Amino acid sequence: MSIDALNTAKDALLSHQTAINLTGTNIANVNTPGYTRQRPVFSTLGQSVEIAEIKRIYDRFLGAQINEQMHNLGFNEAKKNELDRVETIFNEAGGGGINELLSKFWSAWEDLSANPSGQAERQVLVSVSQSLTSMFRSYSDGLLSVQDDANAWIQGLAHQVNNHLSDIADINSKITRTENDDVGLNTLKDKRAALLSGLAEIVDFHYFEDSSGLINAFLSNGMPLVEGIHTWELDVVTENHVSNPFFYDVVFKDDPGNVINGVITNGKLAGFLEMRDTTIKGYMDSLDGLAASLVDKVNTQHNLGYDMSQSSGEDFFDAAKTKAKNIEVSIAIIADINKIAASETVNGDGGNAVSMSDIKDTLTMDGGKSTFSAYYSSLVGRVGQDAADADRNVDHHTILMSQLTNKREENSGVSIDEEMMNLIMYQTGYNAAARIFSTTDELLDVLMNLVR
Amino acid sequence: MVMRISENMKFNTMIDNMFKTESSYNKLMEKIVSQKEINRPSDDPIGMVKVLDFRKSRASVEQYSRNIDGCESWLTVTESKLSAAGNLLIKAREVAAAQSTETASAETRSIEAEAVQQLIGEMFALANSKYEGRYLFSGTKSEEVPFSSSVRSAPETGAAAAAAGNTFDGTVTSGGAYGGLVNKTYVVKIVAGGVLADATYKVSDDGGKTWGLEKDDLDSGTITLGDGIELTFTGGSAALTTDDIFYVHAFATGYYNGNSEELSVNIGEGTPFAYSVSGEAAFTDKGEGDVDIFGILNQLKTALETNDTDGIASCIDDLKAASDQIIKYNSMCGTRVNRLEIAKNNLADLDLDLTKLISNVEDADIAEIMSKFAMKEIALKASYAAASKIGNLTILGFLR
Repeated sequence: MSIDALNTAKDALLSHQTAINLTGTNIANVNTPGYTRQRPVFSTLGQSVEIAEIKRIYDRFLGAQINEQMHNLGFNEAKKNELDRVETIFNEAGGGGINELLSKFWSAWEDLSANPSGQAERQVLVSVSQSLTSMFRSYSDGLLSVQDDANAWIQGLAHQVNNHLSDIADINSKITRTENDDVGLNTLKDKRAALLSGLAEIVDFHYFEDSSGLINAFLSNGMPLVEGIHTWELDVVTENHVSNPFFYDVVFKDDPGNVINGVITNGKLAGFLEMRDTTIKGYMDSLDGLAASLVDKVNTQHNLGYDMSQSSGEDFFDAAKTKAKNIEVSIAIIADINKIAASETVNGDGGNAVSMSDIKDTLTMDGGKSTFSAYYSSLVGRVGQDAADADRNVDHHTILMSQLTNKREENSGVSIDEEMMNLIMYQTGYNAAARIFSTTDELLDVLMNLVR
Repeated sequence: MVMRISENMKFNTMIDNMFKTESSYNKLMEKIVSQKEINRPSDDPIGMVKVLDFRKSRASVEQYSRNIDGCESWLTVTESKLSAAGNLLIKAREVAAAQSTETASAETRSIEAEAVQQLIGEMFALANSKYEGRYLFSGTKSEEVPFSSSVRSAPETGAAAAAAGNTFDGTVTSGGAYGGLVNKTYVVKIVAGGVLADATYKVSDDGGKTWGLEKDDLDSGTITLGDGIELTFTGGSAALTTDDIFYVHAFATGYYNGNSEELSVNIGEGTPFAYSVSGEAAFTDKGEGDVDIFGILNQLKTALETNDTDGIASCIDDLKAASDQIIKYNSMCGTRVNRLEIAKNNLADLDLDLTKLISNVEDADIAEIMSKFAMKEIALKASYAAASKIGNLTILGFLR
């Protein structure tokens, strides 16, 4: 009977020792991101005690919800990241952008109309036009560099996805091995949850844990990313993209001919794809439309006029360069400002310059619905609205995220107070078990002395 | 249910909220420093569009005001030249009245003839005045001296000219007798290039503004431009090319070399304003004009020289009509200046309105922002104070 008591005391000591160790682990990991607190589950073993299981306190549905939210957050963060940069390009708040230069351009024609043969007026017109065209080009360069940035992100993120996939598969394979104890398994699961959450920020996917505890993940259209210990890695290819041969398309490494940009609908990768291929491309197209129409309308009017040597007006803007990225004042005009056709007749009046400045109030854009400057301001408004929307979405999803994170923390996070109380509890248990040891020892001592 | 509060929750909640307060604090700070409500398009996209539209309108208003200032100066100078011309005509009429009486003699008339000759000289100087390098009274031919001192007794066809940018390097000559009543500039523009037999052209009689139908009768090399003017092409080594320009000035009788067109600039959206007075209307009997002022003055001079009393007397009424003509255009200048003044005042009002509108949308209301700023400051201080307490109170403080 007494020997039994010794065994019981031993089990109690060991169990409480483990519990105290576990409390130590919890306290040590109080600031570890993604750490899930662990609890010893005491259970009676005959008359004795054992720790039947070390439980990971985790709500798997909350985990799925957090991953869902990660898609949204990643998607909107990617958009905000790029739109913040686009916005600085179109920042007309302080003046000095295309809006102001367009006004100056028309004013220069007005001034020329009042003094058609004035060399100073002609020179001013050429310099203002050059500033305007170079502003167009610098906006276009700016937009292209944001697209390039998104492009670099797309490449980098595809590689990150692969890293996550192989790490998840790796953990899957470790989980299948039997040599793990509970603590080791819990650590692996924590790591895998963090990896899934990191992957969720980049791409949207569905996943489930099968009966043997392995995670399988699929893209939105059912194409597999991870199945047990197997991965299907992503890759990026160039030269096939519709708008720029340097832009990357996302494919599966084992099927490089099949572009899957459209399958990725959420997360950072989708955000950068949408920015590069839709949003910024849209701004670029609008800017190109403005440039092309400006070149066309100004040249058409210029051709109707007469220059200082009574010749018909040549093209004012280089007619071969009608995009925002290359719009330019004709070299012939820059070389000889007397080729500006300010006159409506061969007599050197300023009539054509007047007609030219009238273009500013003509409904030239949107199929005859808006003027150049109205079209441009609405483009700036669009950029501002998109940036404001992205800002608001990021704010919104950050709030949701922090609510969900708090929810997760409430369930799985470590509380020092709680751990301290547990420590006191386990310490008391340990002390009592030790007392049983010493009491039993004394009892046995008495018994031994009796026999002697 | 009791809520579990983990350590991370305490810190995360604190940090999240502190960031939020700090970021709105910084937004307010930016507004105070820049004095602007809109510092980037996303601050207020619709406001930004409005501001850009208003700014564009204000730039136009500024330009129109500048155009008006230019017109006003031009008209003021024109007015003073015309009133000086009016005075000269009054003097001439006084001479005519005095010398048409029996008290005058052949001697006084010959002396006054010289005085009239001087008046004519002064009149030429006035009618050929320039403002900022351009002739006031030559219509849109503002580089051309408007009046020559010798009279054309018959209409003239000027020499044909080819524009400097032409490809065609043959010769072109004008011919035919001009039968028109006013000065015109004929322009020929090649539509389709090629050798004479293939080329087509169109003709303008208003300097190249409006065009007649496309024609292809260049085969013989000679074409008729209208009013009797002919143009003859002699082929060179380079054929006629699209947009080659040839022109001929045609002159009616009299002293005037300019045209009847008026110079104009915009003084509002789609509001061109003609500001020049054409010499044809003010000084000749062609087009809008009724009295050939230089003709009458010369007639008076000749009558004085030849001691022709009836001739002198007949000039008096004509000189009166000449004065009236000058006065008419002088007062027209005044009316135009008045119109400009009104337009200018309207623009000034508009400019003020636009400035206000821009300011309403774009400028920060500092008083309001300062009070918000003070509130945020208190909130921020409170969260810092709370943050300093975080972690102070745990069970650890009570365990020995």
